[in-house]
Amino acid sequence: MAFLEISDLYKRFGSVEVLKGINLAVEEGGFLVLVGPSGCGKSTLLNTIAGLESITSGEIRINGRVVNNLHPSQRDIAMVFQSYALYPNMTVAQNIAFGMEMRGVPKAEREKAVAEVAKTLQISHLLGRKPSQLSGGQRQRVAMGRALVRNPQVFLFDEPLSNLDAKLRVDMRTEIKRLHQSMKTTIVYVTHDQIEAMTLATQIAVLKDGVLQQFGTPHEIYNNPANIFVADFMGSPAMNLIPARIEANGGGVAVVMTRDGAEPLQLKVGSHSRLGAHAGREVIFGLRPEAITDLSGADRTSPGVVNAECHVEVVEPAGADTYVVTRLGGREVIGRMRSDMQVAPHSTVPFAFNMDKAVFFDPESEFRIA
Amino acid sequence: MAAATHGAVQETAVRTNVLARALIYAGLILFAGYYLLPLYVMLVNSVKPLDEIRQGDMMSLPMLFTLEPWRSAWATAQIGVQPTGLRPYFINSILMVVPAVAISTLLGALNGYVLTKWRFRGDGIVFGLLLFACFIPFQIVLIPMARLLGLAGLAGSTPGLVLVHVVYGLGFTTLFFRNYYDAFPTELIRAAQIDGAGFFRIFWRILLPSSGPIIVVTVIWQFTNIWNDFLFGVSFSDVDSQPVTVALNNLVSSSTGVKEYNVHFAGAILAALPTLIVYVVSGRYFVRGLMAGAVKG
Repeated sequence: MAFLEISDLYKRFGSVEVLKGINLAVEEGGFLVLVGPSGCGKSTLLNTIAGLESITSGEIRINGRVVNNLHPSQRDIAMVFQSYALYPNMTVAQNIAFGMEMRGVPKAEREKAVAEVAKTLQISHLLGRKPSQLSGGQRQRVAMGRALVRNPQVFLFDEPLSNLDAKLRVDMRTEIKRLHQSMKTTIVYVTHDQIEAMTLATQIAVLKDGVLQQFGTPHEIYNNPANIFVADFMGSPAMNLIPARIEANGGGVAVVMTRDGAEPLQLKVGSHSRLGAHAGREVIFGLRPEAITDLSGADRTSPGVVNAECHVEVVEPAGADTYVVTRLGGREVIGRMRSDMQVAPHSTVPFAFNMDKAVFFDPESEFRIA
Repeated sequence: MAAATHGAVQETAVRTNVLARALIYAGLILFAGYYLLPLYVMLVNSVKPLDEIRQGDMMSLPMLFTLEPWRSAWATAQIGVQPTGLRPYFINSILMVVPAVAISTLLGALNGYVLTKWRFRGDGIVFGLLLFACFIPFQIVLIPMARLLGLAGLAGSTPGLVLVHVVYGLGFTTLFFRNYYDAFPTELIRAAQIDGAGFFRIFWRILLPSSGPIIVVTVIWQFTNIWNDFLFGVSFSDVDSQPVTVALNNLVSSSTGVKEYNVHFAGAILAALPTLIVYVVSGRYFVRGLMAGAVKG
């Protein structure tokens, strides 16, 4: 049985349904990231796990114990808030020790625990200060210290890095990952940043409008998205989603896309046997930018690489890579080429399409078909 | 060359600045003087012998300085029928004001806390009704309040006056605290809940220590209003519980024989002194940015 289990969770605010039948399960020591656009219900879901919001129906189990009706303080969880929520009238040490004080831990023991946590997070020199005297990154550390000192069964993080500047965010992200690796405590982490989700998670749950879109490892979510929303949401630049048509082509099938002022582009699809059933139908063809490259940048181990000449509309050098924009099926399509490729806008250059990475969606239901 | 030009420009700017500033200050001093004139008249006449006032010049400084009117107003002047001075009434006022301010402020803080952080069905209506209480004129509550005090057995007593002022002040104190706590980050309350603090613990340990500015505002407001109240004092008190405002009125209106203006002036200043002191002392605790650092600013 999983360590944290959420089954058929519904949450209504009056007549508005915010969470619609969420089912999740995380193993002990797992790092679950709840990701989705704002208003998708991910923070509400976290709050229901914390016990800060009641649930309408369903069940939440932590380590086999149903916690639906337990007070937040009795669920053996600790939470790091987006705003850090440090008590402004207390020093850093008092902030960290407050929970223990409430539980009646003796003073000497409290001080020892605070000192230990402060050492782990390198905030020992800040213990006597008030939150107002700390920088954003320091406040973040104190907020984490307050959670760590509790040594809970589950850590809950509510967008903890969204208030930091870009560089600090990356540093703290690494630090959180390192902490998780050394503590091996189960973590549930909410973010709207898909890169944070990819880097931190052992499992990702993608939510939209209160519905769980997909639940899986970062690798599954990235490479095998269950629907167009997940495909589009995860990854930067986003996956190319091109309206196309499936046609029988000799022994196999090919995907055909219209082009402005040129013949439709036909790409042979090798390994997708299921696609044969869709011959003659319209589909959404999905291919990530890194699967569209220059010829020598293509993955040589992939048997499904197909080359084709395409018209370049825009070239965006990004340092490590150069993004090249062409137009297929009426959509802008981004390819990722090596930065030393000399590509001129409005020229026609050969592109390599790695069709082994291709995914196909039904344009009506938006679900994955192959 | 460039530096010289720069210097000249700056000098002109400074000069206009000085001129404008002088004008502003002159205007401000004029208004301040005008506003302080009554206080000046009261002060100088309260330290003159009565004869000097009778000569008719209210504005002049005292030729013969005396504190006798102050002593008289405080300890010996005729109030009603007793020659007690304002002292016992002053004490009555303190015995009324301190608990009334403390209780109404504390209850207002609790109301604000519940109305913002422990929302319940119909909390908006409750707040609306409390707000409505701010607009009820004193005169309307007189008769029902008299009946209530009679039933409670508190008529004509200091606790009765405390109750009246607490009830009447609750609308205001609730309004102040509700608006202040509305901006107080709810995540702090949630963090404290997860830490295991209960309803009152959160109030005492998290909310109240962060409420300095609004407590000062509320205390000043309540203290001034309750101390200066005359209508409730004159309606609901007996001789032994009359507040100083009522005594001052009796001092001024019921003197037999000669009108001792110097004593009246001294008494009026004495009666107004506590509110002045509250302003001066509490003003120092108006610390801004007390909340800075609680959440990302």
